[in-house]
Amino acid sequence: MRTLDPQSLSKHVDRLYRAAWALCGSREDAEDLVQETFARVLSRPRVLQGDDELYYLMRVLRNTFLTSLRTASRRPVTAAAIEDVVAADPRPTNRPEQAYEAQELYATIAQLPDNFRLAIVAVDVLGLSYREAARALRVREATLTTRLFRARKEVAERFNPNEPKSQSSDGKARAPAESYRVKEHHE
Amino acid sequence: MSEQPPHSEREIAELIRAIDVPAPEALHRRIDALIAEHEQRGWRHSFLTRRAAPLRFGLAAALALGVIAAALVVGLSGGSSALTLHTAVALTLRPPTTAAPALNPHNRTELATNVEGVAFPYWDDRFGWRSTGARSDRADGHAVETVFYARGHDQWIGYAIVAGKAPMLSGGVVEQRGGTTYRFVSEDGARVVTWLRDGHLCVVSGHGVTDATLMALASWHSRGMLSS
Repeated sequence: MRTLDPQSLSKHVDRLYRAAWALCGSREDAEDLVQETFARVLSRPRVLQGDDELYYLMRVLRNTFLTSLRTASRRPVTAAAIEDVVAADPRPTNRPEQAYEAQELYATIAQLPDNFRLAIVAVDVLGLSYREAARALRVREATLTTRLFRARKEVAERFNPNEPKSQSSDGKARAPAESYRVKEHHE
Repeated sequence: MSEQPPHSEREIAELIRAIDVPAPEALHRRIDALIAEHEQRGWRHSFLTRRAAPLRFGLAAALALGVIAAALVVGLSGGSSALTLHTAVALTLRPPTTAAPALNPHNRTELATNVEGVAFPYWDDRFGWRSTGARSDRADGHAVETVFYARGHDQWIGYAIVAGKAPMLSGGVVEQRGGTTYRFVSEDGARVVTWLRDGHLCVVSGHGVTDATLMALASWHSRGMLSS
């Protein structure tokens, strides 16, 4: 066990930002979420059981994200026209085509149900192992594996809307939303 | 997106893993400032600050950053002013003394109150921030008008415009947008952004709001209708 070293946190900003972007679907919300996550981590001493800080940051990111969802649900929804708000950073990357890909992919991920979203963010966006991701999300590895599989499948289906949907046991195509209700392993 | 859409779960995973878009520089700076503040104050202060704060999105960041001022002081100098930023910010944190100004009937992006032609923005329709009150003060020879805004029950903003020639600004965490320099500091537990509009010092302090939100509000101008 060791205490988290605050100086080591800055190297994770990029990955946390991408994870937050995929969770929120918006770059500005992602910035807020990352900032809030780091503020939480730095609010008191943190003892890590393993070597990897990233898993711990994912856990705090998840908690912060879920808290923000609850807060947002109590707040009146207001909309800002996109042309009225200047982008958070006009130069997000030196590779605009990749920023476009990221925008499209992350926007798709952000539409998934929370559990699927968190699974795909932890493993594919953040790069955690299945074991680390399961710990960070407080679920069993089998549960995580199931959610991850379905999350990827759902993203693939959204990119290929003309392909057949997942098949139910009776051979009928399921709508994506319906397929979420398939029984999962429970933690 | 590439021309051929990904078909399999494996292709999706590879595509996601290949993305390495970096975080914006401004976010890096803010995180570095958080860490610097932590290094300066240690765990104990941050812990007490955190425990005293309500658990709501954004406020923890504002409060954790609230003690950076020593390292990130925005300096005011030059001009004929002896006005300090501390004084201007303090006015934005005091309670309103008059009713909220009405919407400008001739320009729906502004409120019907201004300081030497520099109007306060109307944010309700666009952002959900409604004006809740106002106050007028005089500080160090400058008239200072402040309008207060709120969103929901846990977010407040005080927006002050200072009359007269603005002093020179320096320091703070600087962000450039649309040719304007915005400086972020912390003062009395609030996050503060300050910048110039038509040569007038503007100070916006926020409770329960993050820098990104402050930036979006401060830099908003509806297609040039609101001078910035």
